[in-house]
Amino acid sequence: MVRAIRGVLIECEPAIKSIIVHLDSANNDIIIEDLDETHLVVKENMVQVLKQKLDDRLKETYRPEEPLEDSE
Amino acid sequence: MPAKRKAPATQAAAIKAGRTSAMSTPGPATPRSIDDSSVMSDADEDFDEDVPEEQKRREEMLTKEADDFVNKFTFGAKRLHGQPDDKGRRYDAATPFFRKRDFSHLPLKPDHQNRPLWIDPDNCTIVLERFNPLAEQATDFLITIAEPKSRPTFLHEYTLTPHSLYAAVSVGLRPKDIINTLDRFLKTALPDSVRREIEHHTRSYGKVKLVLKHNRYFVESVDAEVLQMLLKDKEIGALRVQGSNEITTSYAPTMGGLVIPGTQNAAGVHQANLKQAEKKPGEGGDAPNEADLFATLNEEDDDDEKEAVHSFEIADINVEKVQKRCLDIGFPILEEYDFRNDDVNPNLEIDLRPNTQIRPYQEKSLSKMFGNGRAKSGIIVLPCGAGKTLVGITAACTIKKGVIVLCTSSMSVVQWRQEFLKWSNINPDDIAIFTAESKNKFLGSTGIIVTTYSMVTNSRERSHDSKKMMDFLRGREWGLMLLDEVHVVPAEMFRRVISSIKSHSKLGLTATLLREDDRISHLNFLIGPKLYEANWMELSQQGHIAKVQCAEVWCPMPTEFYDEYLRASARMKRTLYAMNPRKFQACQYLINYHEARGDKIIVFSDELYSLKQYALKLKKVFIYGGTSQAERMQVLENFQHNPEVNTLFLSKIGDTSLDLPEATCLIQISSHFGSRRQEAQRLGRILRAKRRNDEGFNAFFYSLVSKDTQEMYYSSKRQAFLVDQGYAFKVITQLANIENTPDLAFATPQECRELLQRTLVDNEKGAEDDVETDDLFGSKPGRGRKNNKLGGGGGGPAVRRTAGMLSELSGAQDMAYIERNKAANKALKQNKKRGAGGEGQSAFFKKIQREKEKSKAQARAG
Repeated sequence: MVRAIRGVLIECEPAIKSIIVHLDSANNDIIIEDLDETHLVVKENMVQVLKQKLDDRLKETYRPEEPLEDSE
Repeated sequence: MPAKRKAPATQAAAIKAGRTSAMSTPGPATPRSIDDSSVMSDADEDFDEDVPEEQKRREEMLTKEADDFVNKFTFGAKRLHGQPDDKGRRYDAATPFFRKRDFSHLPLKPDHQNRPLWIDPDNCTIVLERFNPLAEQATDFLITIAEPKSRPTFLHEYTLTPHSLYAAVSVGLRPKDIINTLDRFLKTALPDSVRREIEHHTRSYGKVKLVLKHNRYFVESVDAEVLQMLLKDKEIGALRVQGSNEITTSYAPTMGGLVIPGTQNAAGVHQANLKQAEKKPGEGGDAPNEADLFATLNEEDDDDEKEAVHSFEIADINVEKVQKRCLDIGFPILEEYDFRNDDVNPNLEIDLRPNTQIRPYQEKSLSKMFGNGRAKSGIIVLPCGAGKTLVGITAACTIKKGVIVLCTSSMSVVQWRQEFLKWSNINPDDIAIFTAESKNKFLGSTGIIVTTYSMVTNSRERSHDSKKMMDFLRGREWGLMLLDEVHVVPAEMFRRVISSIKSHSKLGLTATLLREDDRISHLNFLIGPKLYEANWMELSQQGHIAKVQCAEVWCPMPTEFYDEYLRASARMKRTLYAMNPRKFQACQYLINYHEARGDKIIVFSDELYSLKQYALKLKKVFIYGGTSQAERMQVLENFQHNPEVNTLFLSKIGDTSLDLPEATCLIQISSHFGSRRQEAQRLGRILRAKRRNDEGFNAFFYSLVSKDTQEMYYSSKRQAFLVDQGYAFKVITQLANIENTPDLAFATPQECRELLQRTLVDNEKGAEDDVETDDLFGSKPGRGRKNNKLGGGGGGPAVRRTAGMLSELSGAQDMAYIERNKAANKALKQNKKRGAGGEGQSAFFKKIQREKEKSKAQARAG
């Protein structure tokens, strides 16, 4: 019997790939196949989660444009 | 490439624009991109009431035709049709973008285009259009009443703060003048909230002065009613010295007779060896700064030279109480020192040397301090290398009383003394040093003491000598306290200094009045307000400091490094992004490039491990905390004079108090997180470049950043201060022809992997933290052992490390240490030898060299 997993092909920079691999290494639930430096196949149902996690991770690196102080 | 910080936001904007919900949810994530700012500027222009009907109609047409995206750009047209609400605010589709910053309800004046200022009524921020013809005048005015926040090329931002208004009042501006002048420059009518703010602060600040006259304290005010009010106050009234019931009236001193030495018109005064106090006020016209100041306020023509002041006396011991009470009831007391009428403290024989000319901005800053003929306490902010020391010395020469100078290290103590001797005619016996090594006193009745903060605040057990010295310092009354590098000293320490040493006036000097912990505001209370802040860009245009090109070089991380980076601990992460081989290559490339141009290069690294690795691999000299004093001197000497040594690697000990006017290029490979101060201080190393006045000369400041790491975040944070000063950072993503560099380090993936392995292994073992607190020159005897540990454990191949351990056991660790450092030393010595008999030298120099050698030999023999 053939078992199929729905996957999404992701193309990204090597650095982003590294981050995804790192995220996956926690419990191997994201990546289906690691193709090369810039390509990955990930599980379709994890794409949203992955995006979220990546956003969080990138916030550490980039300074978001400072929102104007409206709290005053 | 647009400004770097905006780059990620632009992408976000593009994504969001597709979604309809983007506009209705102005959360913090709402993109503020370049697009948005153009909306803002469009809107501002369109809001002009003079927009012809035809144009409006045309814009309406456009609105209908355009799709959503184009809509963004024409909101300005729509806004005109929005209905004003009860507060006069209009609401339209663009309003959410401005959120609370929508000030479209403020009506523009009909001739607003000719006026240079915008104002934010909520937090008193003023934006100045530098390109406006009136900008010069407006700048002069704004510097007086507001604090500069950000000064890039075309738009300057200032903020009205209580302290800046206080400073404005203290140079003699009246609330009425401030409001009128501000109103004249503003594009809109002056909002009521700002008017109230100005009136509130100027009413309370600076109205009451505490003056130390004939060594008695007087509370003084121009306004008799205020004094009456104070006297009616239960506490203060009781503290008044009895027998002086009447409020005495006298005349306020004017700038008139006072001439700051070193200024143009002071030249004549130097010759006439008259006491300045005896000068007639008829020379009032001599005070050009004051005149300038008033000229900007042309509404106010009569210089109120002879203003009546009223005062009552209070006893010395009650000063503190009165001050506190006055603060409580909203009349903070301004402290001023009427040094010309102080006959109790002996005068100090000091004057600037006749050939000393102070620069216009130094004069400006001092005129703020001595604005009304008395010395005000406060802080003067000048960029590194712009002559802060001379400002301090000139202030001392103006006051001519006992001076105490506090600096950060024992090395700068020596420097201060030398500077005093260089610029002024002070008797060398009258200027003494108080450090751990020397505890001199001046011989005369008054003089200058130079010491460090730590000497004065040290609360531990002291030696007999220093205890005696402290008592001496405490027992005296000082005319002026000079505080060097005020930003570095914690507030508590200041409190201790100020409470223990009595001085009439205090002057703080710094280049970077900022701290990451925002405790800088404490200084306002402890020393005084910021009196003057120089405009870096202006100074560099005038050639007082070097012009600097700033660039940030993005170095991608190789995949192996990045994988490791993601897994590593915070500490290892720092090492990894410093050791990024691409960064190494960029560094190598830049060094080659600039050495070829004849630049002298300083490379900064906070990471000791990478500092050594870089320096050893590139065969350059380096200095860090563990380098011995003699070696430091040798290296610095060579860097300054040896044409073969053009690159110097420095750890953070070189950030401050290092004067290398030869350096013209600076490369930063790792830095202390997001410290804006460090960035500015490092930049300061090249600002005083000797060659700055050569035609077309530029100094270079490179910051190497590993892409996709935390460094990017920190780097943008670090730059904030310099960006505010008007520096623009160019982002370089690719250095041209870098791959063609001969002997490019780590060019193959193989070498990269080796480097990675070595870095990991070395740092796993040597988990010691490389904390360096000492400054470049202040080495203490107790540090020897620690240094050697650093030298032995700081990295290098494993085999050598073992040797170091063994030698440590045998007590010969110095041997191992010297061995490791030979790279730098040996090179220098070899150079010397080669210099002696080198082939590249002309016969003439060879001959001189030979003769020198001969005479040396003779001297030795004889």
